[in-house]
Amino acid sequence: MKLWDLFIGFTRASNLGFGGGPSLIPLVKAEAVDRYKWMDNEEFADSLAIGNALPGPIATKMAAYIGYKVAGWLGALAAVLGTVAPTVIVVVFLGSLIMKYSNSPELKAMLQAVRPVVVVLVAETAYDMGKKAFPTSSTWGIAVVTIALLYLANIHPAFIIVTSMLFGWAVYGRTKK
Amino acid sequence: MLSQLWDLLIAFARASNLGFGGGPAVIPLIKIEVVERYHWMTNAEFTDALAVGNALPGPIATKLAGYVGYQEAGWLGALAALIGVILPTALAVILLARFLMKYSNSPVLKGMLKGVRPVVVVLIAQTAFDMSIGSFPNLITWGIALGTVVSLYWLKLHPALIIVLAMAFGLVVFR
Repeated sequence: MKLWDLFIGFTRASNLGFGGGPSLIPLVKAEAVDRYKWMDNEEFADSLAIGNALPGPIATKMAAYIGYKVAGWLGALAAVLGTVAPTVIVVVFLGSLIMKYSNSPELKAMLQAVRPVVVVLVAETAYDMGKKAFPTSSTWGIAVVTIALLYLANIHPAFIIVTSMLFGWAVYGRTKK
Repeated sequence: MLSQLWDLLIAFARASNLGFGGGPAVIPLIKIEVVERYHWMTNAEFTDALAVGNALPGPIATKLAGYVGYQEAGWLGALAALIGVILPTALAVILLARFLMKYSNSPVLKGMLKGVRPVVVVLIAQTAFDMSIGSFPNLITWGIALGTVVSLYWLKLHPALIIVLAMAFGLVVFR
């Protein structure tokens, strides 16, 4: 019963949230705190903080953590399946249609029109994240150095990510605020 | 076949474990694995995958994993890519919860995240730039981009709706 609730709760949150994992957070809260009362507001805030401390998609991390707290490993599995399975099945189905009809002029016409939209949406994601990413001028410096390393030195992003975190630790990590 | 599944699992695990800021921060890293490292897709095909993914609800990283994994190696491929994207961080959040709780407010962790955020923004902006190459073959496509900005910021239309409208538009105009 609890497993089914977890599965359905996370399925509902996932299938109502457009815009990737971060847009699901309020919907997950509505299920976990308001509807099923698996946790209170404070515990939910903690689970979010824990999730944000780690890399990777936020929605599946929250599903795993909340599912595990409510019903152990099976609970984690049920919540993650609820978050992932329905939308993945639909996306795979649509993807196989695109493969099958890749030579049709209708599909080509639709994709040609949708690509500029996707470019704008991804640029908007960068802009949105950018609003919070540059509190000080040294963070702008990090961005400039990143661009230089990417385009002039061809450094792999993984290396830049790890280095920027070490830099953040050394430079921002010591001050209280 | 097995090595292909392994490649999918490792590629998506690597992308997921380096992306700080949720699924959208993982997109550039997935693109690097899928387009540049393993050549599973071209830039345009990856853009199409993102279009389909954005038209649907739910986390974007797992939708991309399912889409790419399935096209490469069927349902098993989708499963391998999904495990790569989900399992390491889901395990970490459960097993390290107590430890992370203690440090989630520490200045060290906050400092590290502050340092990495500008990098994530640049990587996502770079992804948009890369995808724009080839996406604007004529003036009408620029018009679509402009229309998208207007729809997003002034009309406040839902991104999924904009994607569907653009497809309908393309069907009428570009065919």
